[in-house]
Amino acid sequence: MKGRHAEASPRGRRPYRQMPHTADLAWRLWGETLPRLFENAGRALSATLTDVRFLRRRETREVSVASSDREALLVDWLNHLLYLFDIDGFLGRDFQVATLTDERLEARVQGDIYDGARHPAKTAVKAATFHQLEIVPDNGGWRATVVLDL
Amino acid sequence: MVKLRQIDDYRWEIPREGKMRTRGLIFCSREMLPSIQDDQSLQQVANVATLPGIVGPSMAMPDIHWGYGFAIGGVAAFDPVDGIVSPGGVGYDINCGVRLLRTKLHRDQVTCCMEDLVNTLFNNIPSGVGSRRQDFKLTGSAFKKVLRDGARWAVQQGFGEASDLAHIEAGGRIEGADPDLVSDFAMNRGKDQLGTLGSGNHFVEVGHVCEIYDPPLAAKLGLFQDQVTAIVHTGSRGLGHQVCEDYIKVMLKASAKYGIELPDRQLCCAPLTSPEGKNYLAAMAGAANFAFANRQLITHWVRQSFERVFKMGPRDLGLDLVYDVAHNIAKLETHTVDGRPRKLCIHRKGATRAFPPHHPEVPEAYRETGQPVLIPGDMGRYSFVLVGTQQALTETYGSTCHGAGRKMSRHQAKKVARGRSIIQELAAQGIIVRGAGRATIDEEISEAYKDVANVVDVVHGAGIAKKVAKLKPLGVIKG
Repeated sequence: MKGRHAEASPRGRRPYRQMPHTADLAWRLWGETLPRLFENAGRALSATLTDVRFLRRRETREVSVASSDREALLVDWLNHLLYLFDIDGFLGRDFQVATLTDERLEARVQGDIYDGARHPAKTAVKAATFHQLEIVPDNGGWRATVVLDL
Repeated sequence: MVKLRQIDDYRWEIPREGKMRTRGLIFCSREMLPSIQDDQSLQQVANVATLPGIVGPSMAMPDIHWGYGFAIGGVAAFDPVDGIVSPGGVGYDINCGVRLLRTKLHRDQVTCCMEDLVNTLFNNIPSGVGSRRQDFKLTGSAFKKVLRDGARWAVQQGFGEASDLAHIEAGGRIEGADPDLVSDFAMNRGKDQLGTLGSGNHFVEVGHVCEIYDPPLAAKLGLFQDQVTAIVHTGSRGLGHQVCEDYIKVMLKASAKYGIELPDRQLCCAPLTSPEGKNYLAAMAGAANFAFANRQLITHWVRQSFERVFKMGPRDLGLDLVYDVAHNIAKLETHTVDGRPRKLCIHRKGATRAFPPHHPEVPEAYRETGQPVLIPGDMGRYSFVLVGTQQALTETYGSTCHGAGRKMSRHQAKKVARGRSIIQELAAQGIIVRGAGRATIDEEISEAYKDVANVVDVVHGAGIAKKVAKLKPLGVIKG
């Protein structure tokens, strides 16, 4: 693993990391490209709710989100994934962002229907928020911070 | 750092400065200050003071901590003509609240069956990450009735007694709810979540009265030493979260449209007279009613669980509702300002209404005592019952604290809990806990919370609520 530089794009390392935050939960995310960054954000969200290793790839959801700007799009994307989880328990394991502009995202998500008997419960999330929200270039890739309201 | 000036043992002022339209007023003790100054919450109190139409100070209760937009523990009143309403002043969990049930049981009668009771509650009340009801799905017209009528709808459906309604804030129904202003997304999220606890700090707790501070008041609230009690703490689930999210988007645009200068984007809001502001209040009322109905349904299953485990009828159990309070809400209320009555929009975000004796909104049973105020603590320590006071009505628009507040992040709490069995530790203290996942129980350990007794001592000392009794947990189900 390269260096211990805290903000470095973590090749070979998990592309998301929890940041300290008393009442809520903050994720620091990385991606070599913007679509990868959004995919990793989806994975981080699933990993907040359960242990993703137990999620099978047996359901598919096509997701389409529109927003006013790139950062709002990240929040809306995560909130849409929370919506999918609330309506029938769907949690993504594989995320493929097919189209991404500053205002629009199209993705295919493969995953599982959450079942408390098979999936360890971790932390419930109310919403992704605009607090401390940022998406910035980082070491030739991208880095984002997003705070989840718990 | 935000400037603070001490007023007395329990009050601190943020002097009016810069763009603030009013001062900030913080209720806390000197000992609490360092931890309060740790996060940005005092700045948030100062920021709220800059919002248009604020009447009186921007206030914070002793359980203040950072929250989205407004600090948690925040109270602010706005003029209905010049003022605003903000989803960040209510929070994601609209009408998150607490209700307390009493019983006729003595704690000695339940020690035998606590494990059985906790398991029965756990089976009857879906809880935890992704909890939903398989047996109960809301559709079209029934759903709209829930949003319009709240707990009243639940009672009409046979969940509880008509007498319950008199013991719920606002009668369990906030007026002016418009289901058509609640998005399909929100309705979809809520359709099988009515009657579920959810996760996080939500719980059902069976406890007992372990200390009485004011015997005459306790007697009037139907409380006695060693009496078994039950607390339900939950809110509007995914439906409320979605309403908040939907209207944050609306308000981001509205703030710009109406030229409201915001020190922080999270304070996005709209004038109370604007369509955006009115629509939010009507949608929020719908979500609040969903939460009242949710706690009413859960109460029904709590009663059923007791009946099953103790093989006793409702009359012998006497599981009556003491009271149900909302602690995340915005409401239009009439308050006396400078000697004359004024309608105001009161935001209480992590703050509890605490109306005094003889207030018209306090039910008959509590005319002489004041409205019961329920302050839950963490699952290992205790919770408190207080009553509202005249001091609260005049100084804080009839508001007081709501809980303990976290001291550790969930991440830290899990680290502290690593290698320990929290369930066994609590069992050794006589508290049976069941949760859907180990993670939530670890995140909710006692040490992760501030001591709620300190919070309650401040509001009692400041006179914005009066201590009546302390409750200790015996059995808890956690999300």
